[in-house]
Amino acid sequence: MSDQPLFSVRNPWFRTSVGITVVIAVLSAIAGLIWLPLAQPNLKLAGVWDAICSAAGVPRAALQEAAVKPDFKTSNVVMTSEMLTKVNQVSIGRGATLAQRCAICHGPQGVSDAHSPNLAGQFAAVTYKELNDFKTSARVNVVMSPFAAAMSDQDMKDVAAYYAYLPRVPSNNLDTRRPAPAVVVTGAPMRNIPPCGSCHGDIDNKAGSPWLGGQSAVYIKAQLEAFASGARRNDISQQMRNIARQMTPEEIDQVAHYYEAQP
Amino acid sequence: MASETDHSLGEAVAARVERRWATLSIIIVGLLVGMAAYIGIHQATMPQGRVETADPKTLHLSGEFIESNLGSEMQADGSVTVRAIGQQYSFTPQCIVVPAEMPITFRATSADVVHGFLIEGTNVNTMLVPGYVTDLPVRFKAAGDHVMPCQEFCGIGHQGMWGKVKVIDKAAFRDLAAAKRRLTCVD
Repeated sequence: MSDQPLFSVRNPWFRTSVGITVVIAVLSAIAGLIWLPLAQPNLKLAGVWDAICSAAGVPRAALQEAAVKPDFKTSNVVMTSEMLTKVNQVSIGRGATLAQRCAICHGPQGVSDAHSPNLAGQFAAVTYKELNDFKTSARVNVVMSPFAAAMSDQDMKDVAAYYAYLPRVPSNNLDTRRPAPAVVVTGAPMRNIPPCGSCHGDIDNKAGSPWLGGQSAVYIKAQLEAFASGARRNDISQQMRNIARQMTPEEIDQVAHYYEAQP
Repeated sequence: MASETDHSLGEAVAARVERRWATLSIIIVGLLVGMAAYIGIHQATMPQGRVETADPKTLHLSGEFIESNLGSEMQADGSVTVRAIGQQYSFTPQCIVVPAEMPITFRATSADVVHGFLIEGTNVNTMLVPGYVTDLPVRFKAAGDHVMPCQEFCGIGHQGMWGKVKVIDKAAFRDLAAAKRRLTCVD
């Protein structure tokens, strides 16, 4: 025994065990990489090489089949959480000049009582997205659409940077002791409503979701109703319409007045 | 000290035991490979056969996951393709309508983070991973309503994220599909 080398093809034990292991590996590879993929007709494989690549997980771009085009304009903004988060003094300065034409409705300091949105301290990505959506007609408003139509991409970024730079000013209806409605804090999980605060800043902030504190209740209510009815459709992939549709008129009223009273 | 005869006897016993253990191990390995193959063919675990990519940031700009292309589509070969996306914190379409007893392919992806895709009362249970398309062949046995909760923690509003799947009669679905190219049951 002792004079026989262990790892040698002359050792029958070594030869047999390695041989059987190789046979199992080859058979498994044939089954897993060729036979099983080809046994799935819905994969529509082009051949053996395609089957091997698919089973091995080689990524490929999804086939571009003819998609049904929308009969309305959708937002074309590519929203990321890094978007317009870098402060640029030149941009803010340019924005301050451009924003003079906005002051009649949005106030000289980005705050007004005209039931138009208060823009002071709003996230730059939010203001930019809405301006862009007005420009592309994804969102339509008789007053805003003509203003946005004349703005360049850089103009919109500058105005957004300027309003993000202005400090938030509490509204005349500030009341921090007002209890938060359930839908803001916990949502209504049984009706597919997540908490408002999980995107709009009280708990967490999702890119593109506006800060709602101090906004006019009339404005918030009008927008929620527009999302619910489908009159406003510039939310990417229906993210806000899905929620507004499920809200009751009472809940819409509650959140509108709650956010108006927040700083 | 053992004699020459004793030594060869012990060697023969050891060789026999080794051979039996080796045979048993090979049978076990063969059985496991066979089980995996059987489950793969009969789709008990439904492994996905292809890796397809889709950019989560631009799903809404072009391609098959634009808003107006989501929902159920009747294919020329008699099957149904359902396209959906998961996002913080809802599925679009919020209500999916499909026929019973017809081959259905779910194609879905995520617009932000990893979401779960699970249809209660069925063996549909997979993940929507941003950047990748989930492609899943399904067949519903009977008409009925199912809930489709996100089963992968996706953020602070996760508990509010779920959709509905409405399985309807084959003929009723065909009538709906004749009138509209992409079907949903969102009211």
